[in-house]
Amino acid sequence: MAAHPVEVDNTWERPGERAPLVTGGHTFASLTDTVCAVWEAPRPPRAWYVAFAISVALLAVFGAMIGYLIFNGVGVWGLNNPTGWGFDITNFVFWVGIGHAGTLISAILFLFRQKWRTSINRFAEAMTIFAVMCAGVFPGIHVGRVWLAYWLAPYPNQMAMWPQFKSPLLWDVFAVSTYATVSLLFWYVGMIPDLATFRDRAPTKFKRIIYGLLALGWTGSSRHWHRFERAYLILAALATPLVLSVHSVVSFDFAVSQLPGWHTTIFPPYFVAGAIFGGFAMVVTLAVPARALFGLKNIITLRHLENMCKIILLTGMIVGYAYGMEFFIAWYSGNPFESFIFRSRALGPYSWAYWTMIACNVLAPQLFWFKRIRTHQLAMFLVVMAVNVGMWFERFVIIVSSLSQDFLPSSWDYYRPTAVEILTLAGSFGLFFTLFLLFCRFLPMVAMAEVKTVMPHADPHAHPHAHVPATRRFDYNPDEFDQEQPA
Amino acid sequence: MSHAAHTAAAPHAATAPPRPAALLVEFDSPGALLTAAEQVRDAGFRRWDTHSPFPVHGIDQAMGIRRTRLPWIVFVAGVVGCTAGLALQWLTNATSAADAPPGLWTIFQGYNYVISEKPALSLPAFIPVIFELTILFSALATVIGMLAMNNLPRHAHPLLAHPRFRRVTSDRFFLVIDADDPQFDPARTRDFLGQLPAAVAVETVPEDRSPTALPRGVVIAILILVALALLPPLLVARARLSKSTEPRIQIIQDMDNQERFKAQQAGPFADRRASRPTIAGTVARGDLAGDAHLLTGRVGDDWAAAFPPTLEIDLRLLHRGRERFGVYCAPCHGYGGAGDGIVAQRALRLNTEGWVQPTSMLDATVRDRPVGHIFNTITNGIRSMPPYGDQIRPEDRWAIVAYIRALQRSQNARLDDVPPEVRADLR
Amino acid sequence: MAGTAQHATERRRFERGPDRLAAGAAVVGLAGLAAGVAVGPNVGWDVFFRSYLLNYCFVLSLALGALFFVMLQHLTRAGWSVALRRVAEFVAGALPWLALLFLPLLIPVLQGRPGVYKWSSPDVVAGDPLLQAKAAWLNPAFFTVRCVVYFVVWSLLAVVFVRDSVRQDATGDVGHTRRLEWWSAPGMLLFALTVTFFSFDALMSLNPHWYSTIFGVYFFSGAVVGFFALLALLVTGVQRAGALTASVTVEHYHDLGKLMFGFVVFWAYIAFSQYMLQWYANLPEETAWYFARQNDPWWRGVSLLLLLGHFVAPFLALISRFPKRRPGLLVPAALWLLAMHWLDLYYLVTPRPLGASYVPAAPLHWTDLALFVGLGGLFLAAVVRPMGRHALLPERDPRLGEALTFENI
Repeated sequence: MAAHPVEVDNTWERPGERAPLVTGGHTFASLTDTVCAVWEAPRPPRAWYVAFAISVALLAVFGAMIGYLIFNGVGVWGLNNPTGWGFDITNFVFWVGIGHAGTLISAILFLFRQKWRTSINRFAEAMTIFAVMCAGVFPGIHVGRVWLAYWLAPYPNQMAMWPQFKSPLLWDVFAVSTYATVSLLFWYVGMIPDLATFRDRAPTKFKRIIYGLLALGWTGSSRHWHRFERAYLILAALATPLVLSVHSVVSFDFAVSQLPGWHTTIFPPYFVAGAIFGGFAMVVTLAVPARALFGLKNIITLRHLENMCKIILLTGMIVGYAYGMEFFIAWYSGNPFESFIFRSRALGPYSWAYWTMIACNVLAPQLFWFKRIRTHQLAMFLVVMAVNVGMWFERFVIIVSSLSQDFLPSSWDYYRPTAVEILTLAGSFGLFFTLFLLFCRFLPMVAMAEVKTVMPHADPHAHPHAHVPATRRFDYNPDEFDQEQPA
Repeated sequence: MSHAAHTAAAPHAATAPPRPAALLVEFDSPGALLTAAEQVRDAGFRRWDTHSPFPVHGIDQAMGIRRTRLPWIVFVAGVVGCTAGLALQWLTNATSAADAPPGLWTIFQGYNYVISEKPALSLPAFIPVIFELTILFSALATVIGMLAMNNLPRHAHPLLAHPRFRRVTSDRFFLVIDADDPQFDPARTRDFLGQLPAAVAVETVPEDRSPTALPRGVVIAILILVALALLPPLLVARARLSKSTEPRIQIIQDMDNQERFKAQQAGPFADRRASRPTIAGTVARGDLAGDAHLLTGRVGDDWAAAFPPTLEIDLRLLHRGRERFGVYCAPCHGYGGAGDGIVAQRALRLNTEGWVQPTSMLDATVRDRPVGHIFNTITNGIRSMPPYGDQIRPEDRWAIVAYIRALQRSQNARLDDVPPEVRADLR
Repeated sequence: MAGTAQHATERRRFERGPDRLAAGAAVVGLAGLAAGVAVGPNVGWDVFFRSYLLNYCFVLSLALGALFFVMLQHLTRAGWSVALRRVAEFVAGALPWLALLFLPLLIPVLQGRPGVYKWSSPDVVAGDPLLQAKAAWLNPAFFTVRCVVYFVVWSLLAVVFVRDSVRQDATGDVGHTRRLEWWSAPGMLLFALTVTFFSFDALMSLNPHWYSTIFGVYFFSGAVVGFFALLALLVTGVQRAGALTASVTVEHYHDLGKLMFGFVVFWAYIAFSQYMLQWYANLPEETAWYFARQNDPWWRGVSLLLLLGHFVAPFLALISRFPKRRPGLLVPAALWLLAMHWLDLYYLVTPRPLGASYVPAAPLHWTDLALFVGLGGLFLAAVVRPMGRHALLPERDPRLGEALTFENI
């Protein structure tokens, strides 16, 4: 297999035909070889080392900033009296949002029979796990006395204290931890057959034992596959409402309050759409370099990227719809506090953040109406980078602009992050990319078993040795059939 | 099997012909596997299986695999999770330990605190946690159930030792007939399998004779780990059961011990004095020297009988007094000063324990008090009335006193208090 | 392809039957309308118009659901649904007719009848500072203009999507498919905005002080549940009448069942989101709406019935694949969901706002029934009539082959 396969344009639309999802004339064996090559190569590409060095350096910054915070207290951040949440919760919601695309691609697209998900679901799920890990750090460290964070968990204790289950912040604990657990299960269960592939190809005994343990003795038995597929379907059906619930609960953190700009009923679906939007942008951000670097262009094809761009366009419009509804109802409500805060968002002290958000989240994705841009990797990359930035700013605008100008003008204050907060945000990317790069190197990056099922050869009725066409045609000519003529 | 028994059996294994555990046929396409599976099924074999790198469409029907009961397990787990979520929140947040019979469960009770005026049992607020626990239980049941029904993890499997079988996770398809099958006959079954269309190879899978016992080193390591893992709980248990007079070990101070300095001690400041001198340009509370009459309501040691001479008693002052009275005094004393403000009315209605009815300012006792005395009461409070000296400026306090005098006069007025030109209207 | 032989002998066109059925439905519908108008003076015209609004929104939401479905199939280039799409197109095709039936609803607005839309009455607005603040939006003239825009957009979309699909039967030209695919994206955008603002105007403004940003999504989610239920019923009806017996298989019913189930859950999610946030924040201007629906025994009963009947019962009934693959079980479920969708709209339309100055009338009236028969009959006539004129599935759609051989995994 060539290390750098040529780009094949499979983004054409011919009604009645389905474009191939794997290009480059792959067979089952060559597909396995290509995906395993990333892991089997004696050493990863040089770019991997560069990226890894930068990531680990950022991770060190992250650790140092958290240590500094814990040692000195939350005063090292720029929070002030009305603005009790700043970068901490912005980063939390940002990362949780990123963590949605993985399970969305896996679960929702699975339920909708979107076969193209198979090429990208594995590393999108990995992204989910790592993003949720980054997200989990922030509520943990923002509580001030980090060592007492375990009080969030319900357990019998000598203080006879229980969590207040009517508090949305506690729902968050349950939602995010359930989400992390189920995402991990979903990721791992889906990976078992591919870990078995690694086991069977392991060059050393040590690797064979490690991957053998992880593969749980998988033999590819059809009786096992039957229950496996059922379990996978059920997990997808469970994960789908779970994805919706998690970001809905995160939105409840804000929306059950009475603060103008936070309390609005569209928040739950709007947060979910925003999370999917930001999550897909991050998947594209990772996919564009990864497919080039690891020679996966025939597996994560241009069509996969284009489909993701379409979803980004759709969810970007849903997010834009929510912005619009908020604005309209803020006026329509006749509530002066509501209309004030929205005027202030557009024209007030944080208008720079607001317009950054609008430009990145609403305007930039409009470029995806054009196929030229949906299929041009650099253009696409620039747009999704804008979306990544915009989605961070969305959370910043929601949290900071509403808090800094609450009901009482005498308590208004402008929030400015300190260097510690900015470095913590940068450091969280270090954690994310370190884990992601390790994953690329040591775990199956593409769900090989699943991709094989969508290859034309997987159809048991295809003649085994005949030429298998790359596209699927559904030939049907109505003129061949004699219809029952109306008498 | 012990280590000794394994070494004893080893020479025998070398001489005896390997008894087949199974026969294995290899195919290179899913279609061939499907055809073969149908033939094997129709031949009446019972203990056999097919293996493939991905789930082959239609193989369930071809092999006659019945639908799994996994969904039912998941459903039950979901119901359990749902109930557990409801029970946890109900017990901890909506029941009171005082009302419950004693028992172990009381530890779950008694945390029913009101939050945002919600009832203790607030189903809408409980739904998120109920939902998450339903999903969590269902998902765990799905994975554990699937692995258990598949007898996984199972690391020692005869097939995994077969070199050809390694391609099952890449691009090859296998059909395996177990030697335990009632119809199995080494030679005849082999012939039957060899005739299957498109079979690439038919092979014997030898019995797995690799040792199943763990190596001694691993066993010892596990034992040591278990022993070490038991240490912390034992230490915790000992700490719980023993008494000590030593102060507790504080890993994190939590502001329990804070730095402080006593008067006359050396402090951390440049001049090393812990007690700080007054800051230039400030006056400490109570040290303000000035017009004692205006600020305290006293003339010498007696209550002032007249208003401070610096104050001009006019209609403007009375209006100011009425406005301030409405803000600070009327809630308890009432707009008329009779001691019937809305706070007093509510307290009376609720029968509040320990409530003292506010004084009526119209009573003779108050009427006879010098103005300085009333001023002092506003400034420093009396009985359950709090002091207002730090909330109302002295001039305003005097204005209130003036207004109180007007109120008193209004309820005890004589005809000659009324201006002569309107007296006629009153008759 | 496998199974082509069976398709050869199925019926794909009706003759006179639909015309006769449509004529009958139209007659019954007109009779219902006449009965409604006849009892109008007795129950009061406010009650009449509210009944009309309720039943009108019911049939309109079904047609809007159909338009959404048709556009969605083009937008996603779906293959499985082609065999069902024509029936959905017939439902969406009723939209231009429904535009005509909307006209009576302009009467109370232009009359300034406070019993229907409080904000339309200048007297009420004069005494209500909040309504004065909203007068730029909530006034009869602008309301009328907006409604004209909504119905023009919907009618045009419905005409375009039905006409091109039907023309393809004759020409077999793939260009029609491409054109509709191109239109589906902007069409969806227009659809989202018009449906949202229609729901604000027609339903949310019945309680003009109350507001909820999610309301448009709420209306949409209920409409789609109702539409899928109707589609299941219509397809079963067509098959009972002897057509499409081979093209529409149990696999299609399975998918319809899944979509019904999915949107029932989606509706519950949206309804819960709205309820939870307003209940928790407990702001008087928002809770007044729920107060009217929860503190009266009748409306509390309706709320609970919605919770059980629009979510819990269908959730449990449709979660398994068993009923979804059995039209005999799916049909009662669909009928039930249609009834629940009506109840949902009843719950939105009929409760009087708090502080309404007029005497609260009984919660159900003969006009509710008469106009249900009236508007339902006319709607059915509009849906059934084209069934006799066009093929019952897009015969030359390039993706039909995919739909015919479609199997659920």
